[in-house]
Amino acid sequence: MHLPDARHRGLRTALLAVAVLIAGPLTAQENRTAASAVFRRYADQVVKIQVVESGSAAKATIGSGFFVSPAGHVVTNYHVVSKLVHDPGRYRAELVDASGQTRRVALLAIDVVHDLAVLHTGLRPRRHFALGAGALAQGNRLYSLGHPSDLGLSIVEGTYNGLLRHTLYPRIHFTGSINPGMSGGPTLAADGRVVGVNVSTYGEQMSFLVPVDRAAALVSRALAPGYRPPSSLLAEVGRQVRANQDVYLRELFTGTSKTVELGRYRVVTEPAPFFRCWADARRGREQPYEAVDHKCSTDDYLFIAGDQQSGVVGLTHELVSTRTLNPARFFALYTSIFAADNTPAGQEEHVTSWRCGTRNVRNATTPLRAVLCLRRYRKLGELYDAVLKVAVLGHRDSGLVSTLTLSGVSYENVGRLTGRYLERITWR
Amino acid sequence: MILEVFDPRVGGVRTRLRLETLPLTVGRGYGNDLILDDPYVDARHARIALDDDTGALVVEDLGSLNGLALPGDGSRAARVVAGPGAEVRLGRTVLRFRHPDDAVPPALPDNPVAPEPASAPVPWISSLWVRLGVPAAALAAVCAQSWLGNFERSASGDVFSGALAFAALVSVWAGIWAVAGRVVVHRFHFLGHLAVASAGVLAGLAATLAEAWSSFLSPDNPITGSLSVVVWVALTTALVAGHLSLASSLPDRRRWRAGLVTAAVLVAVSGAMVVASDEPFSDVPEFAGVLKPVPAAWIPTGAPEDLGRMAAELKEEVDALAEEE
Repeated sequence: MHLPDARHRGLRTALLAVAVLIAGPLTAQENRTAASAVFRRYADQVVKIQVVESGSAAKATIGSGFFVSPAGHVVTNYHVVSKLVHDPGRYRAELVDASGQTRRVALLAIDVVHDLAVLHTGLRPRRHFALGAGALAQGNRLYSLGHPSDLGLSIVEGTYNGLLRHTLYPRIHFTGSINPGMSGGPTLAADGRVVGVNVSTYGEQMSFLVPVDRAAALVSRALAPGYRPPSSLLAEVGRQVRANQDVYLRELFTGTSKTVELGRYRVVTEPAPFFRCWADARRGREQPYEAVDHKCSTDDYLFIAGDQQSGVVGLTHELVSTRTLNPARFFALYTSIFAADNTPAGQEEHVTSWRCGTRNVRNATTPLRAVLCLRRYRKLGELYDAVLKVAVLGHRDSGLVSTLTLSGVSYENVGRLTGRYLERITWR
Repeated sequence: MILEVFDPRVGGVRTRLRLETLPLTVGRGYGNDLILDDPYVDARHARIALDDDTGALVVEDLGSLNGLALPGDGSRAARVVAGPGAEVRLGRTVLRFRHPDDAVPPALPDNPVAPEPASAPVPWISSLWVRLGVPAAALAAVCAQSWLGNFERSASGDVFSGALAFAALVSVWAGIWAVAGRVVVHRFHFLGHLAVASAGVLAGLAATLAEAWSSFLSPDNPITGSLSVVVWVALTTALVAGHLSLASSLPDRRRWRAGLVTAAVLVAVSGAMVVASDEPFSDVPEFAGVLKPVPAAWIPTGAPEDLGRMAAELKEEVDALAEEE
């Protein structure tokens, strides 16, 4: 069985990648009772969603979903049905209900930013979940339902640990083992209230949910009178990505940005609360130079397709200096650091090749070698990946290579952010 | 009158003959007075005699396949008057007529170390200092380049392997030319070919260095790109012409032409390969990444807005790429 989710383990969070399920032998008797009560009561409102390759009639993706209206609307993750969005001619979505009946379903609405989708099934479920807000305290017991690895409907117990801080997109931290295939299933409080939608995991017992209010907003949009599904879902993905990034990229690298001193250079760090930064130094008796790395990256990304993410903003500063190398040898080192490729990977299906240009420019304080590389997304309208790489020039024994990586942004944002970034690298 | 039999393939005089009894016959056959070992010469090719009317010495064609050719333009003649200094070509052999009073160069001192100037057809390569000095200079340049391009604490390994690779490659290359020269003009000239190849390596290193500097000072400059094609064509031409000067008896003009044709073929083949093959998809960017240690004030720079204009051009390119499919 092919689970595309597993491919994202290298990223910050994997969309329901493999996590080890540890059965708790010491679980309190009352909780076991509660879990079985929740399961008995709500199991028939949770369904399996599968995306099937039309030619071979084989499953390409499986996930879970749950009824949210008497008219049979189902909420699931966008990433469960993304193949259908990208290639509607080749794939179809199906619902498998508790009795094993399979039924073809249609995609009604998507929210790529929060990884949600609403399906129209035409079924009349006996019962459905009402999506509403409710208070929760850290440590409250939660029950997650879904189809892990297509093994049949399962229930997983865990605890509520609040919303993640410093993320671009709201996520509930659920301490429990959600596994591939449970994507799109509901996580419930003991009283049956939906708390969130299973979306991703990060190793053992660390799982993440989309807060229920995001799902409620999408459902009410999709069920509003006069709502019509977008004619091209792919164009809708591009539109949502652009609208979303315009909000969070607007203030990046403006005058108030935090800076850090690296040697005699001053550079941007932690441009916004949703960035995480790391630093490390490399010194060794074996190497006749010192290098200090300082890296920042957004913690979140938008899942667009199996091998394509968007909305990642990363910056890297590499300070390199020497006491022993002569200028010619030091610049051989500096050139090799500058020329090293640290651009994001890409698939021909989704993006064009890179096009790069090089200029020597001078900002207020220093001359710079600047390389800008650009590539375009093939199917999502005007979205680009851009890499700006800058080397500070003019010193015999020290240098700074700084890289700004933008993925899935509009051309306006490329121009705006690279321009500001260039001004924020200074030498004193 | 003295007759010199000159073989251009060897680059020297085969034999000299005092013309006393005339007429005499010339050809490949054993019945001739002058026997020429040249496959392009007929068994009975020509006759050297005194003209009955004028008493002048003449060479007459005896109806041979390739006839008598005049040096210079190579035009055919049935009869050539042979005064002192006159030349006539039979097949691949040149007959040259000399007056007994013609001056000869003074004798060389008998010094076994000194090279024989007469045997070296190219003046600049005739000196042993050049033949040894140019490869030594190229070796030094290769070592310097691998040392300056290295930023490990110990660079000696890289320098040594660079020097070894250079020595091996240039020796093999010079050896191939030397063997070819032995076949064509019966001369090895290995040191000469080594010097030519080393001079090529030196010039190539200089061209690469110049390219790196111009790419640093003036990135993405289309003039630099086309200039570098011209430089490499000139280098290839000179290299081939240089080797041919040692390994063939071609006149100057034809050597340079052969060099130019080789370079043109190389350019055409690589150009055709670029045109014929679609650019493959790649998620690894290419850019002019070379950096040089130059004081800040000396670096020619533009305003940051230059980057914006460049971005607009890049956008057009990737938009076109995205449309292509």
